[in-house]
Formats: sequence, structure tokens, C-alpha cells
Amino acid sequence: MTETSTQTSKPYGIVAEFTTAASILHAAELVRSAGFRQWDVFTPFPVHGMDKAMGLRNSKVGWFTFVGGVIGYASGMIMIWYMNAFDYPIVIGGKPMFSPYSAFPPSFELTILFGAFGSLIGMLFLNRLPRLYHPLLKNKRFSLVTHDRFYVVIECDDPKYSEVETRRLLEQAGSRHIEVVED
Amino acid sequence: MNMNDSSTGTPLDLGKWRNVPKLLMGVGGALSLIGLFVNREQFAYSWLLSFMFFLSLCLGSLFLILMHHLFDASWTVPIRRFCEHIAALAFPWMAVLFLPIAILAPDIYTWMHVNPQFDHALRVKQPLFTWWMFDIVAIFCFLVWGVLAHRLRYWSLQQDKTGEARATHRMRRYSGPGIYLYALSLTIAAIMWVKALDYQWYSTIYGVYYFAGSVWLAIATAYIITMVLDRQGILTPVMHEHQYYYLGSLLFAFTVFYAYIAFAQYFIIWNGNMPDETFWYVLRERGTWWWISMVIIFGHFFVPFLGLLRIDVKNVFAYMTPLCIWAWAMHWVDLCFNIMPVLHPAGFAPSWQDVTCFAFMGGLLSWRFLAEFAKYPPYPIKDPRLSEAMGLYHPIPAQMSGAELDQTDEFPDAPPQFGGTNQ
Amino acid sequence: MAASAETTLDLVEAPIRVPQPPAELERTPLVANGRSFGWLSNRVASLIENKAPGWWWVLFSISLLGLGLLIFCMSYQISTGVGVWGDMRPAMWGWGIVNFVWWIGIGHAGTLISAILFLLRQRWRTAINRAAEAMTIFAVMCAGIYPLIHVGRVWYDWWLFPIPNANSIWPQFRSPLMWDVFAVSTYFTVSVLFWYMGLIPDLAVMRDRSKTKARQFLYGLFALGWTGSNRAWSNYEKAYLLLAGLSTPLVLSVHSTVSLDFSVSQVSGWHTTIFPPYFVAGAIFSGFGMVLTLVIPLRSIFKLQDIITIKHIETMCKVTLATGSMVGYAYMMEFFICWYSGDPNEAFHFSNRALGPYQWAWIPMILCNVLIPQLFWFKKLRRNLVLVFIVSILVNVGMWCERFVIIVVSLTREFLPSSWHYFRPTWVDIGTYAGTFGLFFTCFLLFIRFLPMIAVSEIKGVTPQADPHNPLGGAKVPQFVHEEH
Repeated sequence: MTETSTQTSKPYGIVAEFTTAASILHAAELVRSAGFRQWDVFTPFPVHGMDKAMGLRNSKVGWFTFVGGVIGYASGMIMIWYMNAFDYPIVIGGKPMFSPYSAFPPSFELTILFGAFGSLIGMLFLNRLPRLYHPLLKNKRFSLVTHDRFYVVIECDDPKYSEVETRRLLEQAGSRHIEVVED
Repeated sequence: MNMNDSSTGTPLDLGKWRNVPKLLMGVGGALSLIGLFVNREQFAYSWLLSFMFFLSLCLGSLFLILMHHLFDASWTVPIRRFCEHIAALAFPWMAVLFLPIAILAPDIYTWMHVNPQFDHALRVKQPLFTWWMFDIVAIFCFLVWGVLAHRLRYWSLQQDKTGEARATHRMRRYSGPGIYLYALSLTIAAIMWVKALDYQWYSTIYGVYYFAGSVWLAIATAYIITMVLDRQGILTPVMHEHQYYYLGSLLFAFTVFYAYIAFAQYFIIWNGNMPDETFWYVLRERGTWWWISMVIIFGHFFVPFLGLLRIDVKNVFAYMTPLCIWAWAMHWVDLCFNIMPVLHPAGFAPSWQDVTCFAFMGGLLSWRFLAEFAKYPPYPIKDPRLSEAMGLYHPIPAQMSGAELDQTDEFPDAPPQFGGTNQ
Repeated sequence: MAASAETTLDLVEAPIRVPQPPAELERTPLVANGRSFGWLSNRVASLIENKAPGWWWVLFSISLLGLGLLIFCMSYQISTGVGVWGDMRPAMWGWGIVNFVWWIGIGHAGTLISAILFLLRQRWRTAINRAAEAMTIFAVMCAGIYPLIHVGRVWYDWWLFPIPNANSIWPQFRSPLMWDVFAVSTYFTVSVLFWYMGLIPDLAVMRDRSKTKARQFLYGLFALGWTGSNRAWSNYEKAYLLLAGLSTPLVLSVHSTVSLDFSVSQVSGWHTTIFPPYFVAGAIFSGFGMVLTLVIPLRSIFKLQDIITIKHIETMCKVTLATGSMVGYAYMMEFFICWYSGDPNEAFHFSNRALGPYQWAWIPMILCNVLIPQLFWFKKLRRNLVLVFIVSILVNVGMWCERFVIIVVSLTREFLPSSWHYFRPTWVDIGTYAGTFGLFFTCFLLFIRFLPMIAVSEIKGVTPQADPHNPLGGAKVPQFVHEEH
């Protein structure tokens, strides 16, 4: 099976299949220590310890959430103050025009609302989603990634990539099925 | 990323502190005794304040034990033993410390010398608000706490010998009805000993309020004790980093829970604006008490809340130690805010007797605690969940790769990394 | 025996012996019979890919009829006026608000399961969280209808939003009803976000196995191009954790805010400081009741016993027991403080609850919410599915009675005895209530037909073979293998 096709389309990367969680973790450690940069691991569920094996940094989603939450809280408080104490104050039940206590429940809800949007949008943004086309998704075999298989993909753009060497490395890691996927 | 170096740090030389508890007890006791004759009322209130503080610690620890058994938890195994010792201080030691309150009750509780025939708020509370019911309630509470704490500790020690399932089942059997009795006794204690200072005032959430602060205090204390025992190498063999992470998270959770309860109580009373409830807060907004209330809002909630928001700080001892000590200070301030305005309506007036009573009780209780702790294994050595607590064995693997734990340090599934430190 | 299997570990200081749990204390696996990843995918996907069974069509038709009833009753109410309900001064909050609170309470289990149990590392939640979250969303939809039509003039509902109305007056944020608007709409939105985010990897599962073009396109579209990349998983898990962290105070705040609708007033039986946590406990209680009601039949019909094991049912029973007991504590405190405070209105009110004309609602409230759940102390009873199913329905009967007792009993006996009256629902009240069940079950049946009702990707992660350090996950050296018994 030499998949390097005769067509002009350039290859996207090399895909190696693994069948157990331990083998993919091990493979990720190998690939990482080999010094690759543009590569990724594809799994049906998040494998415990994989972030560390791949050397990934702490996800940045938290910042989106935090900024969202702060904006939510501030906009709630300012909105309520503006509407009920500044723009059109009305005396109701002898209560103060503005009080941080009574303004707290809606502002709190807005904190959560904006924070939640921040998290979801941050996650999608960092993952470059939604993405309607992905070269890997064309591959029949790769569709097992959502079923029960694990894959390591090393992109051709990686400076260390060389089809023979990389294939050998992945074979060493224990993959039984390796193929090159086109872009 | 390895920030919790202190657990591998050399054990501290704690020998020179050995006599501190007894010293505190001696000096504090002597000065408190002088205080009793100098200003009996101040003594009684200071005593009550310190008593409620240390009672929080005992009851909070008891709650942690009960939850451990009810949840069939695993990570709490290494910290369970010292919690059991703290909870067991409730009887007889806390009961003994209650005696001055029982004797000086007429100096503390104004209702004791009001004729119920002329006071509606007191008349409706008959027969609960009589001196003999006051004593019966105290006996009931100490009985419940004593039986629960000692039976749970007994079976836990029994488990050390055999590791049999029967011990685990026994502890669970005590915890089931125990949690009901615990809720009842804690509530009635908070009502009779603190809320009754302003006997006209009422709030249905008051028991939960005292409970929230108590557990908060107990968690902060558990964090510090765990850390010290880890550093001394006593708990190190069975420790795992996630104990710190979970204790820190629990502290965070109870920071929020306390704020939620405190806000609910204040907010509903503020909004309802009924004079028979608001007076309690009105009294506490006079003079410097207003500033104390601000200290509670910011110090009891915002500081620990923002301080614990980050995930990775929960394992940094240099950061957590001051925070836990801060929690002690804040719980004390909170109790002070609940108790002291009755004696000092004009404003916050700390007295030297607050310090001496606190020193005496702290000294006595830590002396007893250390003595008990030394007598038995420092953690439940044969608990069936011990291997899980050590992170050695995951019958049920992590459902998510533990994103938050990946950042602190790895959740070591493989044995060689004890305490997550020597990697 | 496992008890004898002790492993010596060489530590820095001294070797310690770590006992293995005795056989009776061993943890049961979350997925029974050691099912493989593929089996889990196939099992869950087959529920969607197979033809709809006959019973589904029967239930769906009945639900559609119910939905029709709801639309009819709402149209009649909107076109005629809110007077077609049984609301009469002074009880202007009748069944409409009772059902609002009831439904929104049910809607609390889903987010509790997805958020709080996630933070508490309760991994059994993965088997039920998807269905529970769906239930939450549909329950909140049912709840949301009531305040909107309750205002009478539905075309002025936009006054609830922070937009100046015809006289340039802004909505009044000192009113708890405005807080409710924010709480409920935030809750709905965040629940949908959370639910959808959890669905993304599972939609990718469905996409990758779809045979028809339409399915491929639709599942593919909503899966947003998910590939299962670990870089994506890393962000995904973080976002999931953050959403869980945000939803936890949210779930507490929503029913707390609902409780403030009552407790910030001065009405007897409403104004009491324990209301927020008490309402939250009650909401979780009723939500778990509903989850049990839905899950027990589903797991038998769909043969999901290996995924939703008896242990799951048992654990849910324990949550029901715990929250039911907390509700019991609140009832007790209310009665105690009513006596303790010496407030004559409160005293009258509470005796009226227990002994007055609405005793028929008070007795089932105490029975179903506090006493009957105590049966769940016994393991045998927690494992008796028929009994658990019956109790789970009683839980929601009890919770409905509780809301009725709080709202109607307080209002019909308010401070002015001349305006006291006895509340009677009309056929429109009953029809609208029955109709919301139609809406709920229509949505729920569509959900189990078109979306994976078990979080497949998550449940794969809790199997032993998902753990790279477990021999079943392919680990070479079983460093700490649990000896076979």
C-alpha cells in the first residue's frame, strides 16, 4: 500500500493507527521526544495524561470565561444603575434607587451568561471550529476515531517530516496501520 | 511546575514548640481567671466567643468524617484520623469548657433575667427558654457529639487492627442517623448559644449559617495540619497531591457556600424590612461594627474567593498557609460580629480577655489533640480505600483527563511518585 | 481472597503495606460486563439508527395530542383573558405559578448532574447526564411558558426586557420578578450551551457512522468539524470544567432567585431566610425524581442495563434521599421558627397549612417529600426498580403539593380575612398543566429519537480500557493490579 498518489494534490500528513490508550500515550511521548511540532493525537475520548505526554500547555479558555464574566457583571450593575437610578428614577417601596444588594441577582446571572458564552466561544475559537472541511475527515479509515481507534497524525509541513523516517518512527511506536492522507 | 516543594522540605524541628500548648494553657488560664474577677461579663462573652470558635472546629471536623463515610469517599482517608481526634475533643473537653458558660449564663443571656410574663418574645419560647431546658439542650448536644465522634473513632481504630469490612459498615451505620442528629444538635446549639443572645430575633437559616462557617474553618485547619504532617514525613507515605487540591477546592466551595447563606439571610431580611428582624442588623451597623461587617464581606468572602479562584494555587503552600490562617481570623471575626454587639453595642471593642480565653482553650485543646494523635496510627492504616487515596489504584478511571490536574502536576497513576513531588 | 492481597511498596522512608479492599467493599465498575468502546457506540447509536419502535409512535401521538391541548388552552386564555384561570383575589398566583416553580424545579437535576457532580468527580453521572440535561431544557421550556402567559396581556411581555416601554420607563430591577427573568433566561441559555457542547463529540460519532446523506450532512453540520484532536480535547475539557464551574452557582442561584419571589415579601409562610437553600434542595429533589421516572423505563426498553447499571439507580436514590431530608430540615425549621418567633400571623399560617382547608395538600407534601424517601436508606429497596419508580413519581407529586401549599395556602389566607377564599382550578388550569406534559414528552421523545441519549464519548472515558495505566487499556506492566478474587 503505497498511498503517495500519482495525482498532483499534495499530501497532508501521515496517519498512524493505534488500538489502545496506553499505546497512543506511548506513541505521543515518542513523537514528542522526536521533536515534531505540527502533529496531533486523535482519540474517541480525552485520554488521561495525554496533555502531558504531548507537552501541551494549559488551555487558555479560562481567559475568555474570565473576561466574559467581568463584562457580564459590570454591564449588569451599570445597566441597573443607569435605568433605575439615573435615567428614570422612581421611588418603589421606599427602597434605595440603587443598591448593590438588589442589583446583585441580575448582575450575577449576567456574569454567568457572559462567562458561559466566553467559555464556549473561546473553546471554539481556540480549536478553530466550526470547520466544515478537514482533510482527515475524508479518510474512511480515520472515521473510526470516533468509534474505538486512536491516531497519531504528523503533518507534512513539519520541518522534521520525511515520509520514510516518520513512518519508521510510527512503526516503532507500534502502529499496525499507517497511511498518508492527502490534503 | 513543581511548586509544592515544601512537602519534600526537611522536617521542621517542632520539638522546641512542644511546650507551647501547656504554656498557653497555663498563662491563658491564669490571666482568664484574673479576668473573671476583673470583669466578669467581659470574661463570659470572651469565653463564649472562644468556645463557639473551637466548637466550630470540632463540629466541622465531625462533618468531614460523616461525609467521608456517607459518600464512601477515598481521598479523605489520610486526613480522616486527625479529624477524628479533633471531633472527639467535643467530649469531654468541649463539654468541660462549656461549664463556665452554663454557670455564667445569666451574665451572658439577657433572657435569663427577664420575666417571661412581661415579654412576648420570651413567653412564646417557653419552655425552651428556661435555665433547665438550656442545660438539657447542652447535655443533648454533647451527648450526640460525644457518642458520634467517639464511636466513629472507635471503629476507625478497630479498623486499624483488622481492616475488616465490618468496621467500615459500622462507621457508615453511625453516619446515617448521625447526620440527622448532627444537623439537629448543631442547629439547636447555634440557636441556644448564639442566636439567643438577641432572643427577639429569628432567622430560619441560622443553623446553616453557623454550620457553613464551621466547616469552612475545619477545612482550612485540615489543610494546615495535613501540610505539617506531610512535611514531617508522617503522612507522606500515603499522601497524594490531590488531597491538597481537593481540600483547596472544598475550601473554595465553602467560601462560596458561606457567602450564599450569609447573603440569603441578610438580603431577605433587608428586603422584607420587618422591624422584628432588621433590628439585629441595625445593631450591627452601628459604630465600628459597620466596618466589621465590611471586613466580613471582603475578608470572609472576596479575599478567599479571588484567592482560590486559580487552580494551581491550591497546591502552593506558601500561598495557602496565610490563606488558611486568614480563614481562622475571619471565622473569629464572624463569630465576634454575631456575639459581641450584645455586650458592646457602641462598636467593636476587642478585649485582652478575648486573647486569654482563646489562648487557654487553644492550648488545652491542642495539648489534648497532640496527646491523642501520638497514641494512635497517624492515618487509618488498613482502610480499604487507602490505596485509592494514594492514587495507586483506579478501579474507575478518570472520566476526563483531569484538565485541571494536568496543570498542577500529574495525577500520578503510576506508583513511583509519592506526594507527586519526587519526579 | 482479595483481602489477603497486600502489596508492599518501597518508599523513600519505609515500606508500607497497602491493604486491598475486602471483597464486599470493592467498587463496582461503571460500565457493566466490560463492554468495549465499539459496543458502547453501537448500542447508543442503534437507538437512533434503528426504525422507531411501535411504542414510540404511540407515545409520540399521545404527546402531540397533549401539545395540541396546550396550544388550545393557551390560545383560549390569551384570546379571552387570564380570568379563565382559577386565580381570584387575593390568590392571583394560582396554578400558573405553582406549575412554573414545579417545572423549573424539575429542570434542576440536569445541570446539577452535569455541573456539580462533575466537579465532585462523581463519574457515574456520565451515564445519565445527557438525558438529564435534555430533560432540564424541556422542563425549563414548560416552566417559561407560565410567567409569559400569566401576565395576561402577552403582547406586553417585552416589558420584561431591559428596553424602555412606551412611557420611557425602564423595567424595575428592585422587583424580584425581574431577577427571575434574568435567572430563568440565563439558566435556559447556559443549559442549552452546556448540553450542546457535550453533544459536539457525540454528534461527530453519529456523523462518522451515518449511512444516509441527510444524516451525514446534519450531524456533520452540528458537529462543527470535530475530529477528536487532543489539542481540541484539551481546550474542550477546560471549557467543560469552566462551564461546570459557572453552572454550579447558576443552578443554585436560579431556584434561589425563584425563592426570592416569595421570601423578599412579607407574606406569612413566604418571608423566611431559609428559602433559597430550601428551594434549591427541593428542586434537586424533584429533578432527580423526574430523572428516575424517565430513566428506569428507558433503560429496560432500550436494554441499557450495562450503561445505566443498578448502581446508578441506587446512587440517584441516595441523592433523592439526601435532598428530601434537607427539605425535611427546612420544613422543620420553618415550623420551629414559626413557634420561636411568636409572630401571630405565622402561627396562624402554619396551623392553617397543617390543619386548614388545604390539609389534603400538606399531608402528601410531608409524606412524599420527607417520609417516603427515607425508604432509600435500605439497599434492598433502592434496588427494587418498581418501588423506586413509584417513589420517584410520588416525589414529584409531593413537590407539586409543596409549591401549592406555599403559594395558594399563603395567598388565600392573607392578612385581610374578609378576602379569604378557597382556590379552585378551572378546566383551563388543568388543561394547560396537562398540556405542558405534552410539550415535555414531545420534546423528550424527539430527543431520544434523533440525538444520542447517552454521552457516548464520555462513557467511553470511564471504562477501564480508557485508562492508559490500566492493563485493560494496554498498559504493559500491571504495577498495581487488583488481584482477581
